[in-house]
Amino acid sequence: MTSKYLSVFKISFQQEFAYRLNFVMWRVRNVMQFFLVFFLWDTVFSDPNRVVFGYDRNKILTYVFGILLLRALVLSARAVDVAGEISRGDLTNYLLKPINYFRYWFTRDVSSKALNLGFAIIEASVLFLLLRPPFFIQTNFPILFGFLLSVILAILLFFSILFLVNMIAFWAPSMGWSAQFLVIVIVVEFLSGAIFPIDILPNAIQGILSYLPFPYLLYFPLQIYLGKLTGAAIVKSILIAGAWSAVLLFSVNSVWKAGLKHYAAEGR
Amino acid sequence: MADKNRDSEKAIIVEGLVKNFEVVEKKQGIIGAFSSLISPNKKIVKAIKGINFSIDRGELIGFIGPNGAGKTTTLKILSGLIYPTSGFTQVAGFNPWDRKPEFLKEISLVMGQKNQLWWDLPAIETFELNRVIYELSKSAYKKSLNELVSLLEVGKLLNTQVRRLSLGQRMRLELVAALLHRPKVLFFDEPTIGLDLVAQQRMREFIAEYNRRYKATIILTSHNMGDLVDLAKRVIVIDKGRLLFDGEFSELVDNFAKEKIIKVFFSKGIDIKSLETIGKVKKLDFPNVVLSVARTTAAVAAAELLQNFPVGDLTIEEEPIEEIIRKVFRSGKVIKGRKNTK
Repeated sequence: MTSKYLSVFKISFQQEFAYRLNFVMWRVRNVMQFFLVFFLWDTVFSDPNRVVFGYDRNKILTYVFGILLLRALVLSARAVDVAGEISRGDLTNYLLKPINYFRYWFTRDVSSKALNLGFAIIEASVLFLLLRPPFFIQTNFPILFGFLLSVILAILLFFSILFLVNMIAFWAPSMGWSAQFLVIVIVVEFLSGAIFPIDILPNAIQGILSYLPFPYLLYFPLQIYLGKLTGAAIVKSILIAGAWSAVLLFSVNSVWKAGLKHYAAEGR
Repeated sequence: MADKNRDSEKAIIVEGLVKNFEVVEKKQGIIGAFSSLISPNKKIVKAIKGINFSIDRGELIGFIGPNGAGKTTTLKILSGLIYPTSGFTQVAGFNPWDRKPEFLKEISLVMGQKNQLWWDLPAIETFELNRVIYELSKSAYKKSLNELVSLLEVGKLLNTQVRRLSLGQRMRLELVAALLHRPKVLFFDEPTIGLDLVAQQRMREFIAEYNRRYKATIILTSHNMGDLVDLAKRVIVIDKGRLLFDGEFSELVDNFAKEKIIKVFFSKGIDIKSLETIGKVKKLDFPNVVLSVARTTAAVAAAELLQNFPVGDLTIEEEPIEEIIRKVFRSGKVIKGRKNTK
């Protein structure tokens, strides 16, 4: 059983290498994005003693650096191709085989994450040497455990959000890409904490956001790592993320079932 | 399990199968696109309107119908891809829609225009992946792969990136990928589409050989009548979602080939007008003339020709199969073949 998905992992890895240039460009994009955010905040905090939104220069640069690595782990996913597979009818290939489509794509996501994380670590090391930002190494074991748990939940959350958005293609084959752009590129980028830490926002908005799944993708896991949350707050954030994962994974399953009944295996 | 024992020599049972599709009509232009977004104009398309047939284990059936007749839709329902609106289907003892792993290991659907090979990798990588997906033992996989590779002569292509292969080469490798797990029930949808004549012939020989060697049940759809004449003894004809004929190919010919074709080569000039009394002149390219005459009087007509005209050469032939099929569709009537008399 596991060997099936191990093989999927291997072939997916090879596939990424077939598009070496593509992959390199994707990493370049990530580095550019990092530079953008890094220098934005570097300018805001050009005076090391300035404190804005409760952040000083060191804290914000630590945050930005943490995001670079966490992004590779949480937001790199191959399941963005699902909408295309549904609307082109390529889904047919999987439905004909004794393989679980979710596990298949989750495995491909994991292989993409492994590859991206590897590169992100190399990039981060180079950037670290170049920019010499302050970096914080967490050593508290319970906090690290909470961080690990929150990252796993973040991965599941992103997987289910991505799948839900992609499954729109069952009903609106031509909407797949625009829905993806709206939800993944705009909503997720802004509300996950990828561009700015959520706690610079007004309290009321923070309050609302904390009940949505998005900040649990990057912001909360990073806050846990940086030691910004205390014991009870860590448990609360993990509980909310866990509840959202359960709800979303359940929805993925029921939407999938409804979608399959609608599927016409087109494309020929 | 109870299902499995039911009618065990039947590989495929279809009863009262109906499939309706809901389609949203898109209007033209930007304004049209917006208006169909706000008030979508939904339409029900009845793709299959209640068909019945059953197929024994090891049979090879030709599935005939014009574009949009419902052939591919039927195959997709039988392989568990799409959900039937109503009716009963059973394939290899399973309900296809459940898509149980045991069922999926028994079947394969080969579409001439769909590919499963990983485009950027050599085909052998897809085969390896299929080996683990279908949970084949290493030895069973090797045996199956070796047989298929030699039957289809693709040994030299296994390690080439799929994107670099020609269509014919790729189709043969697609076949290997689809058959590695030795399916007992096979659906071929237009397997010879886009292939040259040599490749078509090879594909037909392969399908016949696979059917013989593994006692596999095969349904084959094709627009290429050559495929069907060569391969299928029994044919099922459908059009507009209804079953028009189910029976032996020869029965279909008897029912619809009301005429025979007489080709004559004249050694001297003749009066064309007087030919009209014998049969309908279909083609005139003197000294070659093609006549069509009623089936029952073909022999008489030939004798008359030989007696009264300067005939150099004469042959009597069946109507081309395309012509017969066209008549079936044009009539739109349901003909009782031996198989669907229940």
